[in-house]
Amino acid sequence: MSLWTRRLVLQRAMHLSAMGVATPLAINLAAFGEAAAFDATDYKALVCVFMYGGNDHANTVVPYDPANYALYHQIRAGAAGEDAAGIALARADLAATALTPLDGAVLTDNLQFALAPQLTGLKSLFDAGRVAIQLNVGPLVQPTTLAQYRSSNRAANPLPPKLFSHNDQQSVWQSDGSEGSTNGWGGRLGDIALSSNSANAQLTCISASSNAVFVAGRDALQYQISGSGAIRVSALGGALRNAVNAIVTRQSSHVLENECAAVTRRSIELESTVNTALGGVTLTTAFPANNPLARQMRVVARLIGANATLGVKRQVFFVSLGGFDNHNSLMADHQRLMTRIDGAMSAFYAATVELGVADKVTTFTASDFGRTLSSNSDGSDHGWGSHHFVMGGAVRGGRFYGTAPHVSTETDDQVGQGRLLPSTAVDQFGATLAQWFGCSPSELPGILPNIGNFPSNTLAFL
Amino acid sequence: MQEVERTPADDGHAAGLVAVTAVLALSACGGGGESSGSPSPGAGNAGPPPIPPTPIPPPPAAGPAPPPPRDVIPSTDAEAARFVLQAQFSVSDADITALRSAGVLAWLNARYSEPAGQTGVAWLDSRGHNAITEERRYRAHEYGDHMIWNQLIAGPDQMRKRMALALSEMFVVSSTPFTSLYPSCLIAAYWDVLTAHAFGNFRQLLEALTLNAAMGSFLNTRGNLREDSRGRQPDENYAREVMQLFTIGLYELNADGTHKSGADNKPVETYGQADVTNLARVFTGYDNDTVSNGGTTTTVSWERNPVPSTHLATNPMRFIASRHSTAEVNFLGTKITGTTPGQDALHIALDRLFYHDNTGPFFARQMIQRLVTSNPSPAYVQRVATVFGNNGAGVRGDLKAVWTAILTDEEARAMPAAADTMFGKMREPIVRFVQFARTVEAASTSGAYAIGDLSEPDTLLGQSPLRSPSVFNFFRPGYVPPNTAIAAAGKVAPEFQLHNETSTSGYINFMQRVTRNGLGDVRPAYSTLLPFAHDVPAVIDWLDLRLTANQLSSQTRAVLTTALATFNITAQSSDSARLDMLATACFLVMISPDYLVQK
Repeated sequence: MSLWTRRLVLQRAMHLSAMGVATPLAINLAAFGEAAAFDATDYKALVCVFMYGGNDHANTVVPYDPANYALYHQIRAGAAGEDAAGIALARADLAATALTPLDGAVLTDNLQFALAPQLTGLKSLFDAGRVAIQLNVGPLVQPTTLAQYRSSNRAANPLPPKLFSHNDQQSVWQSDGSEGSTNGWGGRLGDIALSSNSANAQLTCISASSNAVFVAGRDALQYQISGSGAIRVSALGGALRNAVNAIVTRQSSHVLENECAAVTRRSIELESTVNTALGGVTLTTAFPANNPLARQMRVVARLIGANATLGVKRQVFFVSLGGFDNHNSLMADHQRLMTRIDGAMSAFYAATVELGVADKVTTFTASDFGRTLSSNSDGSDHGWGSHHFVMGGAVRGGRFYGTAPHVSTETDDQVGQGRLLPSTAVDQFGATLAQWFGCSPSELPGILPNIGNFPSNTLAFL
Repeated sequence: MQEVERTPADDGHAAGLVAVTAVLALSACGGGGESSGSPSPGAGNAGPPPIPPTPIPPPPAAGPAPPPPRDVIPSTDAEAARFVLQAQFSVSDADITALRSAGVLAWLNARYSEPAGQTGVAWLDSRGHNAITEERRYRAHEYGDHMIWNQLIAGPDQMRKRMALALSEMFVVSSTPFTSLYPSCLIAAYWDVLTAHAFGNFRQLLEALTLNAAMGSFLNTRGNLREDSRGRQPDENYAREVMQLFTIGLYELNADGTHKSGADNKPVETYGQADVTNLARVFTGYDNDTVSNGGTTTTVSWERNPVPSTHLATNPMRFIASRHSTAEVNFLGTKITGTTPGQDALHIALDRLFYHDNTGPFFARQMIQRLVTSNPSPAYVQRVATVFGNNGAGVRGDLKAVWTAILTDEEARAMPAAADTMFGKMREPIVRFVQFARTVEAASTSGAYAIGDLSEPDTLLGQSPLRSPSVFNFFRPGYVPPNTAIAAAGKVAPEFQLHNETSTSGYINFMQRVTRNGLGDVRPAYSTLLPFAHDVPAVIDWLDLRLTANQLSSQTRAVLTTALATFNITAQSSDSARLDMLATACFLVMISPDYLVQK
């Protein structure tokens, strides 16, 4: 049986078990143990850091060389200068985070970039070759030029659904489909990893944020965990335990009741497994306080530290930070967000080093969309392509990937007001991560459906 | 007068003109701003003729008249309770008696004619939370939480409050991001807009919330500036969300709320980026109004700047013509010339959205989801949307008529058949908690209602009113829980977006605490139940009817019977022992899937 066929068999079997009731997943998996999807002898984890609201990429990865900074300042402040004005950062504030690519690559228009001044940790990791920057990546169905974007022939020039809409672009980034999609590419990667995780297959795809389609597979379930670990039902330890257990886990012929109880059953079944495993992990790396992203990333690090105890070989995690829809007060709000991103991601990388898995864990950022380069006086509006970070010991960091856009609201790499027309597709970005994770090229179309439309399915950052 | 383009959306209606716009012009905001009369034409210069302002077009014809609302007289207490629990948070003996004698229309009409309770702003005032004192409560967010919990738990007009809560989950504002003075008063004033218009007209609600200061702050109409020669562009936030979320949605809809299909068999998008960019110009020129209606400022030693009065929050935003875009607006086939006075442009734009064919079914479906069932049939949506288009007296957007249509519809009133295993909706955590508090007579002994933001799911409720994480609400109307039989059936279950391994266990723990101890000084009294707590079957019956409309399964009732018997409550038992048992009874009911899914 080919790998792909075996996986399909496995998926169907698991689908049946999902439709039935009460049979623990692990038992069914054991029956199909021969259908091991990966020859996974080592551990790997992918971590998606989602910036909800649409990150202002132009104040995250900022033009720094004098000529391009001048263009940036003119557009974002409405005047020449190098001081902070409008929604332009001061050039002097960027000096400490200016980036010099390790490979000496020359970017579009001789651009030199600096990171937002708060991203000092990511700057150090870039310099150390542990962080790469993917330029102008966003959802695309196929390679698309400005003329094709403007074409009225949508059949020949298909675009992702509902560009510029928050909820839909969140879903498109995570799943390739607009709101209502029921599986994401992280979850689909989880599907092919399930059999490698047979001891605790339900811990393959985990969100430490709220429910996210990214980590829902066709078969793989999203397991949600809080920053403090799994939540124990107190009443199950008291005199009422039998009554509580009977009531909250009761199976019902009513679909909504039954699905409601299924989540509770899963919570109860996995709680002690998860908390016991977490209890065995020693992690001394300090994570910043009062940082909701750091709280999520800390529990992810602890779960990763427990991978051997849990008997899992491949995991996909989802964490998030909200508040990026900076139509207003961009200068103040975005700085606060960058501080949180930097603190959480830097600490997380340090934690993977402490746990000895830095090269087994790859973390990447994603967001609804980039934003306009133009100002609306104190903020920016919804865009499309954006710049994103890839972090980890396996990353060929200290470099830029993709094509740097011109600093312009006129050039053909943007669709108006500096909304970037992506030059790299999310499918290419995801396919690169997927292949590092262990997915074979022939399996990619099942994970990232548009990948066949692009000339390359591998970017060089991994 | 310039001829205004008619669009397909305006065609195909039957008789009868509606006079809503005229009413609106009168009702629109006392909040100042310049006159909306025509500007004087540019004098004497040679060159191209001046572009005339676009006049406000007359309203289009009303939709077809619906059949009159159905009256239903519930034949059982359970049917009566089920109706009330769709219409509001909790059900009383008086409700059941009234419904069984006079029917649902009489009950609804009694609710519609009840006086509105105290407003949120008045409550904040009464507690001193808006006072300009050195304690600076006027800068704190927490009193907004106390305000809304007081409104939901203690407001005398609970149907109005229930509908306002439903509206707050479509027209979303969250107080969380407010950084200005009066975050609590801002959210209270927004809530007051929703309650004031909950039994009013959609068009007036739409205008009032557009100009509300909290909405202005949340979606950036406040301070929105016209384009300038240096490349500055109007803020697009409100323009996008008022279309996507508040009125027409993303895709062209049939009258029954299903998607229209285009030539390529795909859904037809209602608008594009150019429509957003154009409409954004209409929402330029607005800012807070601290002076109208008697607004004042107070100079105090502890603040650098004089502190304005609460009019900052309660006055509609004012219009400042010099900040308003003078570029022509072309959106959804409507053209508004750049010389059109800003407030006329606003009327034209909001009318365009109000009269769009999508708005009725888009609104109807979401309100049915909030109150009755996650997956209404297209026919049900169409019946309610028809009433949105015409209340029977030629008026479009009459919300009372919409609520009546939703709650009296045959699909809402038919008792769900055992074979219908998908009907209903998950009760959202806010509704559960408010129902609990009202049913077991919880009240704040001090009157402070010091219940804060309960959003945190690990240890609290996992949802808190007026605290949505974004304008996309706590959950989306199209949310499909992955890997479920719901997804396999092609159905949606919005409230499941909040339901996961953390929140389900966090909720169980939270309810175990609050059913016995309440929250702070908001303590459950169980005063009706207390005298007969020794009668376990009667206690179960009482809670089953009032919490679930007798939808507890026989299995759950059996478990309850066994568990409650172990308390050995007798006629001689102490109140404390009785309360232990009653809290447990309430807890066990409220964590059961039988309760959690309203059917």
